[in-house]
Amino acid sequence: MTAMTAPSRTRGLLDGPGPSFGEHLAAHGPLPVVDPHTLVEEAGLLGRGGAGFPTAAKLRSVATAAAASRRAPVVVANGSEGEPAAAKDATLLVLAPHLVFDGLALVAGSLGATTAYLAADPALLPALSAHLADRRDPVGVRLHPVAQAFLSGEESALCAALDGRPALPRTKFPPVRERGVDGRPTLVLNVETLARLALIARGDDLAAASMLVTRRMEIGGTPWVDVVDVPLGTRVGDVLRLDEAQAVLIGGYAGTWVEAGRAAHLRLDRESLAPAGAALGAGVLAALPSDRCGLAETARVVGYLAGESAGQCGPCLNGLPRIAAALDLLARPGPAPSGLLRDVQRWSGLLPGRGACSHPDATVRLVASSLRVFSDELARHRAGRCHGRYGHPFLPVPRSPR
Amino acid sequence: MTGIVLWYLNRATGITSLVLMTLTVVLGTLVRRHGRIPGLPRFAVQGLHRNVGLLSALLLITHVGTAIVDSYVDIGVSSTFVPFVAGYRPFAVGLGTLAVDLLLLVLVTSLLRNHLPLRLWKAVHLTSYLLWPLAFVHGITAGTDLGGGWLLWLVLGCAVAATWASLAALATRRNTPPPGERAAAALTATSDALATGTPVGVFRNG
Repeated sequence: MTAMTAPSRTRGLLDGPGPSFGEHLAAHGPLPVVDPHTLVEEAGLLGRGGAGFPTAAKLRSVATAAAASRRAPVVVANGSEGEPAAAKDATLLVLAPHLVFDGLALVAGSLGATTAYLAADPALLPALSAHLADRRDPVGVRLHPVAQAFLSGEESALCAALDGRPALPRTKFPPVRERGVDGRPTLVLNVETLARLALIARGDDLAAASMLVTRRMEIGGTPWVDVVDVPLGTRVGDVLRLDEAQAVLIGGYAGTWVEAGRAAHLRLDRESLAPAGAALGAGVLAALPSDRCGLAETARVVGYLAGESAGQCGPCLNGLPRIAAALDLLARPGPAPSGLLRDVQRWSGLLPGRGACSHPDATVRLVASSLRVFSDELARHRAGRCHGRYGHPFLPVPRSPR
Repeated sequence: MTGIVLWYLNRATGITSLVLMTLTVVLGTLVRRHGRIPGLPRFAVQGLHRNVGLLSALLLITHVGTAIVDSYVDIGVSSTFVPFVAGYRPFAVGLGTLAVDLLLLVLVTSLLRNHLPLRLWKAVHLTSYLLWPLAFVHGITAGTDLGGGWLLWLVLGCAVAATWASLAALATRRNTPPPGERAAAALTATSDALATGTPVGVFRNG
């Protein structure tokens, strides 16, 4: 979480001189009174929570639902960041909290919301509370601590938590934009999306055209993790040092493995990543060093993801643990039970689209990409060899799930 | 002549309806336990539960209709929905009326399930555990054929089946871990099973 190196604008998301309200005003000026609807539409802002949903469409549907139900909507800044490999939301909340508060005030004002929440890691809340005390927003922001779980940031799980219920995802109908917190129409936006909105409102046309990326790599054998503001369309090879890497995990634990050689030339935008089966997700780019076993790394992550299943939907609860356990066997050198690989592929085909949330879909996608990209390693394992160096896990996984 | 036909029809639909209701309860608990019937996929168990339930309701319409039309016993139209107003065995018939009322509620909420809050549907659906005993006691108190022949054994069989199914559903409910603990338990169980080469079972998700 150190400095930024990528080419950046003078007043980018993380470029402010400091997090205080005074420094924020000095760098960005006061928040102008504008209507975010048209601005967001023109800027083409896409959500930065992982799904990349168009923010304008979300704003519009919450406004429509609020008008139809005649209830004041709720706005939620989502800084949960359940993804263990990501650090961009936390970094943003530490370095530029007032951009997030500005964005929240903007959407709250435009939607006529009477309640605003900011959900984030408990460790960030004391500082955020101090920053909030400096502001005079018409709609007060309530800070909500988020439990460290992979699914706690999923919007319906987050709404349930804000209502005081267990943080579990629910079915997509009715959507939270119609019935969310307190049964009211609820706008849930990622904190980065809100910060970009605050810049767009100030006339920064390029704010929607870059993204925060959490970089994970090893340089000369030393782990390197930081968050950078990268213009969309930048080549992955210009963001990451790939000379020692064998593959890149694009999009984090809900993302896709791509061979390093191919990834280097991929551009960071939806259209360019789609042919590689990848998506920006929550903006994690991890360059797997060449001395690690990609299968072992994936198996560890998938074991974590399986343990993070909310345990509500049969396909997820019955599918992910099987896949995780099988992948764990395939990730070890030595003969695996015959037909195990085919079982994994068969189970993987049975999961997508059958959960309340997309947790099983994303996990299966990660597994499929690992089997494709690390097929040489699979063959090596069958022969009882592995070129991984054990004892130094690369991708972070919380010690005990839940 | 018509009186005899009505009387036989009434008794026949009554007993068949009780048997089908028992089957519906057993199938319902099977759905709840994510159980299977050999040769049927799980969704078919659910479909069977639904269709057998609907069939028992259809038979019940005939059962109620014949009781009212039959002039030999004094059971008025009001007895269809208002309990304990019949001239003939008011208590026994009243229990049947209560069962009909509950069945109507369960039926309507199930047909409207997609338009109702899930919790409301569930709360109403759970009254089936009250509905069945009502229908059962109505059957043995208002019934006239339980002399000790095969019908008695059939009714007792129904009681055993419904009790066993209810207890099994209760046991499953107690043995299902809360959502937050299911995934971890499933992961441990699967890893152990794969390591020893034993088949992996089904994990319960509520």
